[in-house]
Amino acid sequence: MSSHREAPEISKDPVADSTDVYAFVSPDKPSSVTLIANYIPLEAPAGGPNFYEFGDDVLYEIHIDNNGDGQADISYQFRFSTTVRNPDTFLYNTGPIESLGSANWNRVQTYSVSGPSGTLGSGLSCPPCNVGPLSTPDYAGLAAAAVHDLGGGISVFAGQRAEAFFVDLGAIFDLADLRPFANLHATFGLPGIPKGPGVNATNHVNVHSIAIQVPISAVTRSGHPTIGVWTTASRQRVTLWDADRGENVNSGPFRQVSRLGNPLINEVIIAMGDKDLWNSLPPAGDKQFAHYVTQPGLAALLPVLYPGVFPNLAALVKSGKPRADLEAILMTGIPPGIIKGFTNFTGPVVADMLRLNTSIPAAKNPNMFGLLGGDPAGFPNGRRIADNVVAIELRAIAGVTYPLIDPKFKPDAAAGLLTDGLTAASVSASPLGQFPYLGVPYGGFNTPS
Amino acid sequence: MPSDDTQSSPAMGVSRRSVIRGAATAGAAGLAVTAFGAALSPAAAASTRAASSTGAAADAEVKAPAGPIVVHVRNAKAGDIEVFSGTSQTRLRDKDLAARIARAIG
Repeated sequence: MSSHREAPEISKDPVADSTDVYAFVSPDKPSSVTLIANYIPLEAPAGGPNFYEFGDDVLYEIHIDNNGDGQADISYQFRFSTTVRNPDTFLYNTGPIESLGSANWNRVQTYSVSGPSGTLGSGLSCPPCNVGPLSTPDYAGLAAAAVHDLGGGISVFAGQRAEAFFVDLGAIFDLADLRPFANLHATFGLPGIPKGPGVNATNHVNVHSIAIQVPISAVTRSGHPTIGVWTTASRQRVTLWDADRGENVNSGPFRQVSRLGNPLINEVIIAMGDKDLWNSLPPAGDKQFAHYVTQPGLAALLPVLYPGVFPNLAALVKSGKPRADLEAILMTGIPPGIIKGFTNFTGPVVADMLRLNTSIPAAKNPNMFGLLGGDPAGFPNGRRIADNVVAIELRAIAGVTYPLIDPKFKPDAAAGLLTDGLTAASVSASPLGQFPYLGVPYGGFNTPS
Repeated sequence: MPSDDTQSSPAMGVSRRSVIRGAATAGAAGLAVTAFGAALSPAAAASTRAASSTGAAADAEVKAPAGPIVVHVRNAKAGDIEVFSGTSQTRLRDKDLAARIARAIG
């Protein structure tokens, strides 16, 4: 997954587990950028009676680096507060929730947002979870009412959304037997697997999204349109179970427990032994992890798992040459002069951030392969909801982007075809045409059906 | 001589003295301090009484935090102690205090 349950420690703490980050120039509001951080992986829509919610004890942040040092220059902080209106019922709601102020809604969550200038908003309503047609009869309307205009061109939303990330988890983590290519897999001497279409393991699940739309001018420095974006979740250092009160007591300063910038980095690039450490550090400290990017384990695995399919990649791996192409794409941005008319370079500091050149307008006809597909408004220039980041990163790791730094290198034919067999059409919930863009979450009554 | 490392939270004024004072006012400070107070007993009781008897001036200069105080003895032998309150933390090096806590739970 992009970053769902990607490290040993955070996999035990889903409320603080960041799953995806999106950053793009808003297609319907081109003077602004939309930044989205998703949390709580794999929410089963019918997961009541205690439906999913943000952690009141978690500090959620979306960070922006606008001078290329890998440190946050602007941070938007989100803190949540939950109120139980009637502690004498087991129900999440005691009747239909027809408005955010409904007395039938028993467990209400609000939040505050702060930015560089201080508090931007407080007491802001989250929508409830999408329970079902009797409990949340007009869910789309409820959620729309939870989009808050904070003034100054800033809008926020925090609440449940349909998972937009698509990935064939079952195939990828079954020793990368990508279904469209399964007939070419080595299979370790076990019976072969016929090729077939991909299966979207993250379809019909929800996440909790924190979305903020801000003017480009508020997050960039004059003459420097490229920003680096990432999210973090932090917890206080001490959590103590108060057995007398039946709840946790938290104390001490907040410390980072989750981080996410580019998709799939801690998931499939960073090795198991460093994943928890990676989650605790800012991007500015990523030099120590650079070898995972320049010598990715997956690049060495592909020729082994698919014998004879990736001979040129195998030779590249054997040569020991560092993958400067991947380092540029993921850790510094692509310098000018590499791809005609394009750059999202932030400087020499090696830092995993989702880099977005905000001077590139949203595409009228987006290509799901982003920059690889000739669309500079897509990943790795930021990330849009429908970008096929799994295929893009698979292809890049397989060598498709290596000619950017060595024109003599010829990628294997299969490298440019790699996919887990999915596209944005594999997601049942359609995205919205406006902020917060992610689709209406799947309802508990109808999912599973 | 105990040393207080208050670099991370000077504003909170959490020190060894305030920890002991917190233990003495466990009712207001909640579980963590209650547990700590129990850990200190009976040795802490003597210390607390001693602290109380040293005068009202000390009471005036140390404000006990409103919330719980949590004490983490990282290394009892070295006297390495962390004290948490609110969103602050303080690192103490106090072999005597650590030893008394260790004895209390032993």
